[in-house]
Amino acid sequence: MDVLYKVLVDPFLQMGGAPDLFVQTLWEGFVVGTLYALIALGFVLIFKASGVFNFAQGIMVVFAALTLVGLYEKGVPAYAALLLAIGAMFLIALGTERLVLRPLVNQPDIILFMATFGLTYVLIGLGELIFGGSPKVMIADQLLLPKGDITFQAFGGIVQLQKIDIAAAVIASLMIAALAVFFQKTRIGRALRAVADSHKAALSVGISLNQIWVIVWFTAGVVALVTGIMWGARSEVSFALQIIALKALPVLILGGFTSIPGAIVGGLIIGLGEKLGEFYWGGLVGGGIESWLAYMIALIFLLFRPQGLFGERIIERI
Amino acid sequence: MLYREAGQYKTGYTADMAVFPIAQDRAGIAIILAAVVLLPIVANDFMLQAVMIPFLVFALAAIGLNLLTGYTGLLSLGTGGFMGVGAYACYKLTTFFPEVNIVIWILVSGLFAAGVGVIFGLPSLRIKGFYLMVATLASQFFLQWCFNRVQWLYNYNASGAIEVPERYLFGWALTGARATPTVRYYVVLTIVVALTWIASNLVHGRIGRSWMAVRDMDIAAELMGIRLLPTKLLAFAVSSFYCGVAGALMVFLWYATGAEYNVFDINQSFYILSMIIIGGLGSVLGAFFGAALIYILPIALGFAVPALLAPFGLHIGADTLEHVRLIIIGALIIFFLIVEPHGLARLWQIGKHKLRMWPFPY
Amino acid sequence: MTNERERRQSNDIILAVEDVTLSFGGVRAITGVSFDIRKGEIRAIIGPNGAGKTSMLNVINGFYFPEEGRITFRGQTRQRMRPHVAASQGIARTFQNVALFKGMTTLDNIMVGRTLKMHKGLFWQIWRHGPALAEEVEHRKVAEEIIDFLEIQHIRKTPVGRLPYGLQKRVELGRALAMEPDLLLLDEPMAGMNLEEKEDMSRFIVDVNNQYGTTIALIEHDIGVVMDLSDRIVVLEYGRKIADGKPEVVKSDQRVIDAYLGVAH
Repeated sequence: MDVLYKVLVDPFLQMGGAPDLFVQTLWEGFVVGTLYALIALGFVLIFKASGVFNFAQGIMVVFAALTLVGLYEKGVPAYAALLLAIGAMFLIALGTERLVLRPLVNQPDIILFMATFGLTYVLIGLGELIFGGSPKVMIADQLLLPKGDITFQAFGGIVQLQKIDIAAAVIASLMIAALAVFFQKTRIGRALRAVADSHKAALSVGISLNQIWVIVWFTAGVVALVTGIMWGARSEVSFALQIIALKALPVLILGGFTSIPGAIVGGLIIGLGEKLGEFYWGGLVGGGIESWLAYMIALIFLLFRPQGLFGERIIERI
Repeated sequence: MLYREAGQYKTGYTADMAVFPIAQDRAGIAIILAAVVLLPIVANDFMLQAVMIPFLVFALAAIGLNLLTGYTGLLSLGTGGFMGVGAYACYKLTTFFPEVNIVIWILVSGLFAAGVGVIFGLPSLRIKGFYLMVATLASQFFLQWCFNRVQWLYNYNASGAIEVPERYLFGWALTGARATPTVRYYVVLTIVVALTWIASNLVHGRIGRSWMAVRDMDIAAELMGIRLLPTKLLAFAVSSFYCGVAGALMVFLWYATGAEYNVFDINQSFYILSMIIIGGLGSVLGAFFGAALIYILPIALGFAVPALLAPFGLHIGADTLEHVRLIIIGALIIFFLIVEPHGLARLWQIGKHKLRMWPFPY
Repeated sequence: MTNERERRQSNDIILAVEDVTLSFGGVRAITGVSFDIRKGEIRAIIGPNGAGKTSMLNVINGFYFPEEGRITFRGQTRQRMRPHVAASQGIARTFQNVALFKGMTTLDNIMVGRTLKMHKGLFWQIWRHGPALAEEVEHRKVAEEIIDFLEIQHIRKTPVGRLPYGLQKRVELGRALAMEPDLLLLDEPMAGMNLEEKEDMSRFIVDVNNQYGTTIALIEHDIGVVMDLSDRIVVLEYGRKIADGKPEVVKSDQRVIDAYLGVAH
């Protein structure tokens, strides 16, 4: 009974007893969830347009941020470094298309996945070789990102919001909105959706697959750069982020591999779920459950709804 | 010219179904076995401790993962976790029952890993492909967390690590600081050879065919009367058994003194996965090729490259070499997927085929 | 030949489908279809594209669950079951789009068909000598007989993914035969074949029926082949049965002619 009380009752009493802490935790979860959603967004873009499950999205986030900070440390002005980092992401997109995707066109999904797995190793090695493996501090000030916090009294206590977190949420929302418009309204966006439906059909109406892939990988690279800047500003730029970025996978499972709204909702569910879980229930088993809670949430969810939140029920044909 | 099958007539299906149907292959295997058995006579401790033992341990783990991913088509990123289960189970068993021989516990600990593998394999009933991969990630991170946080698992050691006790086999020190690499090498070799033989038997028989049928087209397999869940769970169990034994061997007979929880982190899973991609998915032999290329090649490069550069007055740091190693592994993975998706094992087969036909191209 | 076949055919009903209805999210695929298959006959199911023929086979071997209706196979009535249960009761099939195990050799594909007949468990498989090997050899003999029968000896050890389409279809038939089924469901066994390949396949189907006495249900678009091969024909259109009977009867049925010529309803 004692255990049941601790698991089922006590956490909710705590939430009610200290609403300021509860709101603070919710906010934490919201911000983390937004960042997960951004990483997942990069996955979704590439999966939609090329059917590739891009394992390298996480390392692209690290690589982009590392290039930015690394160049700045080598004396390049902040905004020039930003442009160069965008350029680097373009080069990665171009190189991936030319050296990985094009030779592997029409291969099974699992082969393409493993190729991006190889790409991950290349990018880790390259990043460490050029910029070194030690963690770096994001140049948030130089990029004119806000710092400090807003503190206000509410919910019977003090709630503290970091300005960088607010900026992250705003920028993420803008980015998602821009991508949605890009996908729905522009000619390239229509081509992307056509490619997503069928490679062959898209080719037959004169869409260049190679061009589309470069564009979409580049877009995912820019999303990765933004994610990297925001995440870097919240903590630091290090290769450990690549492991954290794997949490985009449960997000994708909740949201579906091809749905942008799904990525956002999934990101928020995972972000809120793991922060609340860690804060209110983690202590019961010694803490640190954040490292696996996201995966467990996704796993349990999958058992009941294998097609994800927004996926349609798949009718198997034979 | 030596590699010909002319004159070797098969007189029954047994001969045709042999794993090595050609006499030269059997001779080759015998020579390799003799060589590895006699190796300690010529090899120094470094060769055994830093090259051969790790190579064998990784090859065993790669066989395990290959049974699951290469043969049954279930993508797993949980190898590190399952290896850890083996290591920690072995540690607990030998502290509870120190009088029982450690070799027995190493094998039994594989059973614990198999049990855990089955539990985390249960979702494979309803989910497949990349979705299942997330399930294996859940097991990886959850198990890693257990190794770190559940103090009972490492006997409340202040270091938070497994401290390998001294154990003996026929009077020789097998684990702990006093065990010689030669003794450990022979035990590892025996276990790996035996388990390789068993894996080869399994994949060449009914069970292996069921696994491959599920991999290639699960719906058709079910319509042939193969029950999907038991087949997949058996793959999880056998695969995890191999990984578990590999994990126990790693801590007790390779590291030999102790290991921390982060040995079994997700990077270990990635490492083994890269071995089977390069070595060849769906090939027992490929696991050895992959382990050799991924583990031994960088060691060789570590000696060769600085030695080659030294005459030119160039110096290359250990860090740089490590970074270059990662780039090479990644590039090799992509290269193999493009050129030969079935890895080194297939190249080996093609090479043998060419040799048989030589000097004719077909 | 015809005499021999008629002699072997009995009036025993091996499979009866009664009032089966199936739909996918509101779309009716099959509506109230009933028919039966007699032991030893070749029964054709024909109809225009989208008539529900493949769905019907999927219902029979347990891959789809019908909303309504019953299926009686060898006296056992059921509404739903799992495909592997259907397989163990003696129903085998081939597929419209070849569903072979592409990474495995012809021989291994056929040996998979023997899975249900092999019983040596994990313990024996580990050693592979003794009982497991004996069992393997015994079933290899059966597989080799099928390979001889289908004249595919030369591709015995070729991975099926590399075979041309016509041969793949033949291997798939072999894999189904390896199950020694009582009822064999063939879904467009001749689709995409040239004339010569069609003739070969027709010969194999008739031979299977003759030599092994296997009951066959067949979906095929080539009306000439259907009329030649089958003993009785069911005609489906828009998920409903519009005709059922001997080839010559079906051929002259006005509704069938309308369905195939596309007369407006």
